[in-house]
Amino acid sequence: MTDPAVRVVGISKKFTLHTEKRNSLKERLVRGRARTDGDFWALTDVSFDVPRGTTFGLIGNNGSGKSTMLKLLAGVHRPTSGSVIANGRVSALLELGAGFHGELTGRENIYLNGSILGLSKRQIDQSMEKIIDFAGIGDFIDAPVKVYSSGMYVRLGFSIAVTVDPEILIVDEIIAVGDEEFQRKCFDYMFELRKRGTTIVMVTHSMGLVESMCDQAAWLENGQLKAIGDSRDVVRQYLDTVNDREVAAALPQPVAETPQVVVGGEHPRLGSGEVRIVGLEYLNESGSLQPVLMCGDPATFRMHYRATESLRDVVFGLGFRHETGVTLAGPNSENGPTPVPVLASEGFVDFHVPRLTLQPGNYEVSVAAVKRGHTYDHVDRGFELRVRGHDGSEPGLTRMFGHWTAPALTVEPSVVSGSPR
Amino acid sequence: MTTMTVRERGNMWSYRSLIWNFAQRDLKARFKGTALGWLWSLVVPIATLVIYSVVFSTIMRMEPPPFGNGNKGNFTVWLLAGLTAWSMFAGSLNTAIGALLGAGPLLKKIYFPPYTPVLGSVIALLIQSMIELGIYLVVLTALGNVSWTWLLVPFWLVIFAVFLSSISIALAVLNVHFRDLAHIIGVAIQLLFYLSPIIYPMSLIAGKSKMGISATTLISANPITQFIEIFRDLTYGLTPGSPLAWLYITVWALAMAWVARRVYRARALDLSEEL
Repeated sequence: MTDPAVRVVGISKKFTLHTEKRNSLKERLVRGRARTDGDFWALTDVSFDVPRGTTFGLIGNNGSGKSTMLKLLAGVHRPTSGSVIANGRVSALLELGAGFHGELTGRENIYLNGSILGLSKRQIDQSMEKIIDFAGIGDFIDAPVKVYSSGMYVRLGFSIAVTVDPEILIVDEIIAVGDEEFQRKCFDYMFELRKRGTTIVMVTHSMGLVESMCDQAAWLENGQLKAIGDSRDVVRQYLDTVNDREVAAALPQPVAETPQVVVGGEHPRLGSGEVRIVGLEYLNESGSLQPVLMCGDPATFRMHYRATESLRDVVFGLGFRHETGVTLAGPNSENGPTPVPVLASEGFVDFHVPRLTLQPGNYEVSVAAVKRGHTYDHVDRGFELRVRGHDGSEPGLTRMFGHWTAPALTVEPSVVSGSPR
Repeated sequence: MTTMTVRERGNMWSYRSLIWNFAQRDLKARFKGTALGWLWSLVVPIATLVIYSVVFSTIMRMEPPPFGNGNKGNFTVWLLAGLTAWSMFAGSLNTAIGALLGAGPLLKKIYFPPYTPVLGSVIALLIQSMIELGIYLVVLTALGNVSWTWLLVPFWLVIFAVFLSSISIALAVLNVHFRDLAHIIGVAIQLLFYLSPIIYPMSLIAGKSKMGISATTLISANPITQFIEIFRDLTYGLTPGSPLAWLYITVWALAMAWVARRVYRARALDLSEEL
């Protein structure tokens, strides 16, 4: 079938902003109609198709209209103009357990919630065991949901929603709830749905999730469609823009006169002081100052020093410590290629990397100037470094750049898809 | 597989299971956690009945009309007929008006037609009223006041249900836009109580009025009056009721259905933004 599962045609959504809500007859009579502060267009003229059987991600900053878009897809709101056409049964998971009634038991709530999601009583009866099993809340199923823990609440909600067996599933950042075990169950289930050909539209802030789960993605910004296409491309475009904006917002740090000493560093400053490191700068390929470095790009670390004596064989070192507390690397100039001479004045040394292998994240940088066991200067975690990426992150703290190949196949593989165990 | 916009899922019939589930939720939630459960639904009507009986038959010596089987009338039984019908009306409005606000968190997350929780609470209330109705009919049976006219009660009930559902839907929707409507309705219901022949028979009303329209006209024009009168005719007086009254309540029910539809179309489709 070539028909898209969901077709969004020229959708706009306007919300009217009121300075104060006047939703009582008394106020209407006394003060007339509420003054409107003008209209807010949450979405303007957005169109896209979601091909059948694909997983589609919606990304964008907070307030970009993603959630409004989902609500329109789910039918919760009506578009001001344009239309949403769905070819198939839609099930929306905008909030789990939204329809639970505290006084009713889990089992009774399954009936209520199931029927809201469009299941008949017979279908619910048939799925009852599966739902209870999937939720894994045991005997609590016959207790009023008001005594449930928040986790149990959410699990029951998810279990009901996925049992609807929708043709089109609309999911808002819900996977982030529940414990690790339940999250894995959710992912397994989503994978299962994909294999069965369910069309999934999801909103998430996890770029890694978009890249790994979505075939296509749309990027919304200020209610407009900024980009659409292959999820990796869209994520890359989105992240680049976010990075650029961060770079623009953070003023390039001028060379600090003295290093900012991080409070709480165990040994903020050590050393005899003939050489003092007074600043650390991050430069990109073209040599311009950067507040943020990009993973995978060439980078230069420039250490500014002030020396009171001329010295030879000074070894400069850097220490990179990830925000999780792991020291990732400690390059120093001892191994050359050329010794760094120091004159009794101000100067700098550069450390170049052809490709920054630090994963996106925040780092603390220690700097040191030493000579064979003698410390001239050592500033423990005196500087901050922010690393950002061009795409969603891989696991781990460093990135191994490489490429993958496989030997040419001589026979057709007999198994096309298999269980990912 | 059909092409549709996301909201078109079917007509009212296709939502019957959801409506029924809302009704069940209302019923279960109302009586959960109370020791006497269902009995509570009878405490208020019985108390009302006792109070009015004492006040109007003992203190004010109101004379009830005779039973349909020719026996001398009993004021308490006669009053029970009026109160049973009345409590269906007042009860529906009182519970249904808040039904949408109650379903608010849900309506903001999932789409379902907003009339479903309202109909659910009207149905829940009507089911609850069946207990009262049952007791009333048992009393009549014990008194030997039974006739074929009872068979018309289901028809009366259907017309009444349409009337009540329509008003309830319209008011519930408007109540989301105007949150103080519930208070106004509370007062209006009280007023209507005295404008309906519940505690007094129509025969007792003074014919002439100083204001131009007679009280009889005013009270007769009240649709609740006609619903009560027909119900009493069918069960107490054992007559089929006047065709004009039947026509009158049918027209009212249809008119209210039309009004409810208008209000719903105009106001209910963007409720998720107002809640």
